[in-house]
Amino acid sequence: MEGDEILMQNIKNILTSYETEYVEDYKKVWIKTKLEKSSDLLEVAKALQENGLRTISTVSATDFLSENKIEMNYFFEDILTKRNCWLKCDIPREIENCSIDSITPLFAGADWHEREVFSMFGIKFTGHPDLRPIIVSQDFYDKTPFRKDFDWDAHEENIVENMNMIAESFANEEEENEKKLDPHGSDTILNWGPTHPASGPIRLKVHCDGEDVISIDPDIGFVWRALEHLVTKKDFIGAIVAVERLCFMDNINSMVGYCQAVEEIAGVEITDFAKYMRVVLGEVARLSSHMMGMAGFYNAMGLHTVMMWNMDMREFFLDFLESYSGARIATAAIEPGGVRYGLQPNMLMELQSALDKFDKTKDDIRAIFIKNPTMKLRAAKLGIITPDEVLDYALCGVVARASGVKTDIRIDEPYAAYADIKMDYVTQKSGSSQDRLIQIFEEMEQSIDIIKQAKKHIEEKIESGEFDPIKDHMVKVPKKLPKGEAISRVEWARGEVLMHLVTEDKATSPYRLKMKAPSFNHTMMLNHLLAGETLSDIPLVFGSLYICQGDLDR
Amino acid sequence: MILELLKKVLRVSKALAVKSPAQKDVRYQTMHPTERFRGQHTIDYETCIGCDACNKICPVHAITMKELPFKKQNIVPEVNLSVCIFCGLCEDVCPTKPEKSIVLSGGRYDMLSGGWHADQEQFWVHVDIPQSYIDSRLEEEEASRVKKELAAKKKAAEAAVTDGTLKIQESQTGMPDFVGENI
Repeated sequence: MEGDEILMQNIKNILTSYETEYVEDYKKVWIKTKLEKSSDLLEVAKALQENGLRTISTVSATDFLSENKIEMNYFFEDILTKRNCWLKCDIPREIENCSIDSITPLFAGADWHEREVFSMFGIKFTGHPDLRPIIVSQDFYDKTPFRKDFDWDAHEENIVENMNMIAESFANEEEENEKKLDPHGSDTILNWGPTHPASGPIRLKVHCDGEDVISIDPDIGFVWRALEHLVTKKDFIGAIVAVERLCFMDNINSMVGYCQAVEEIAGVEITDFAKYMRVVLGEVARLSSHMMGMAGFYNAMGLHTVMMWNMDMREFFLDFLESYSGARIATAAIEPGGVRYGLQPNMLMELQSALDKFDKTKDDIRAIFIKNPTMKLRAAKLGIITPDEVLDYALCGVVARASGVKTDIRIDEPYAAYADIKMDYVTQKSGSSQDRLIQIFEEMEQSIDIIKQAKKHIEEKIESGEFDPIKDHMVKVPKKLPKGEAISRVEWARGEVLMHLVTEDKATSPYRLKMKAPSFNHTMMLNHLLAGETLSDIPLVFGSLYICQGDLDR
Repeated sequence: MILELLKKVLRVSKALAVKSPAQKDVRYQTMHPTERFRGQHTIDYETCIGCDACNKICPVHAITMKELPFKKQNIVPEVNLSVCIFCGLCEDVCPTKPEKSIVLSGGRYDMLSGGWHADQEQFWVHVDIPQSYIDSRLEEEEASRVKKELAAKKKAAEAAVTDGTLKIQESQTGMPDFVGENI
């Protein structure tokens, strides 16, 4: 047996020593299992952690109204050896008995994920250190918006009372802070955002003494659109417009993730041409996101030139997206079954001009902004994330790789045509804010390289007649899907996006879609990174974590 | 003093001769014209078969179906542009060939230029059907209905003639009028 197989066998041995309904292989790097008793969860989690599965990607609940149960899904990952375990167990649905052991004491990264499940499904996690509602506003407290029997219309009827209640609770919070803090001391609770120029729609409740930060409690949910609920109201094609609104900066890759899950349940294999198009479009979207990410970092430091330069460059890539799909930002260009449109030869020429523009500009950007001495002075020792923290808090993407952790879904679990593309992990060493900026820039260069490879391949195959760019882009996906369940992971611009899709029999729309988005974990880190620093470091660290509120709140 | 001033004026006025790099007035002309640009819808009421597919797929319910006084093909889509997210799915599902009945690609991008719209009605893509078209469709329907009725009568008559003798033997009552006349 090879090394990987032995490691996988180890996980299976652990799982089979407990009462399970099944233990089976799922895809190449997953083991799927279902526990008979939810009370075993904590022990199993502990055993898995000792075996190397230190990271919990997300916690997802599915409400089965007809079977009167709630199914919990835990996604354990070992980022280093690429072994993963998908663990399920049932818990009762009645709100009084609906509880399960919290794994937060073992896995620090599960903290907010469990709070989210608590807010959406009303599941109590016993042993959770800080089980408060998250994302939802005060009018949803003690309610269960994502359960199938929640009456949204009835909730909307009291919209005025609800808004008053939110406003009131803000006022009460302020009053309580006044009482709690020593009136003669210098402690204050400061609201950073949602109107701060660098914040975006997020509020950090910064407890500070003078300019020293004591602790940070992020208040999120300002752009909560309940996307996970919204997709269940649309058909499988119409759902792409909700999925792409995870974040506009990189909308293609989130759709790729969703479409892969649908295709897996439908049992459809897409064409090679569509696979390569997904790579090209995905990397273009990644570039356009990274350019904004760099700009965001420098904006936080008060320098807007890099944004102007990047926007200029980005426009060429958006022109390609516009020619291809008809829209610059909300492209809706990936559909279950392939990519939505055929490819015209002039579009590849447009892509080439964008690549040329990048090649022409990149040396200037590197010289002025990446090797910038002022930036180095400011950011080189700030917001340092160690590789251990990456694993414990389930950080991913740019942030994880800047700390030197070799993780990239494109290589770990290749999707689309990434298996045929030559690429390697791009990493930095120290994990500081500066490294995260450099990481973004180097990933842009990597993306350009990938686009060039994919573009060359497409051009060659079109010339040899193997690809028909007008007809090959789609295969038919049946309108009604069978009962099934799938997960798919993609490397999004900000990191790993995990889509967990559940369908009922003869389904015309998703029954449940859980989207695990990277910013959620990264925002969780803020308190850890900034406690003990000064107020002026908040924008910089926040900007360097490459957070987008779109996927933070969903 | 005056010379200096003149020099300055001369220097500044040189700029008038230099063409600005921004050559396009983006209110009336797009910077990057594309065939597939998803803009304002055009709806062809003549080819629309009233299948309701665009209405069903619309993820934001921007489409409402206008009812027409016909028996068949009696609905036609109308789009509320202030709700529409321009995803283009309605165009994708439209089954008419070769031209789609509802089209956004290549549509107008400048739908909001020309000032503020005080009235919500101006955000709608309405289908204005001329009375002459309605009349002609109604006439057509009437004509085809009459034709069908005649054909049915004729068929019934023929059938009656062939089994006529048999039926008369079976029962003398309950016979349709025209059968009686023929006999």
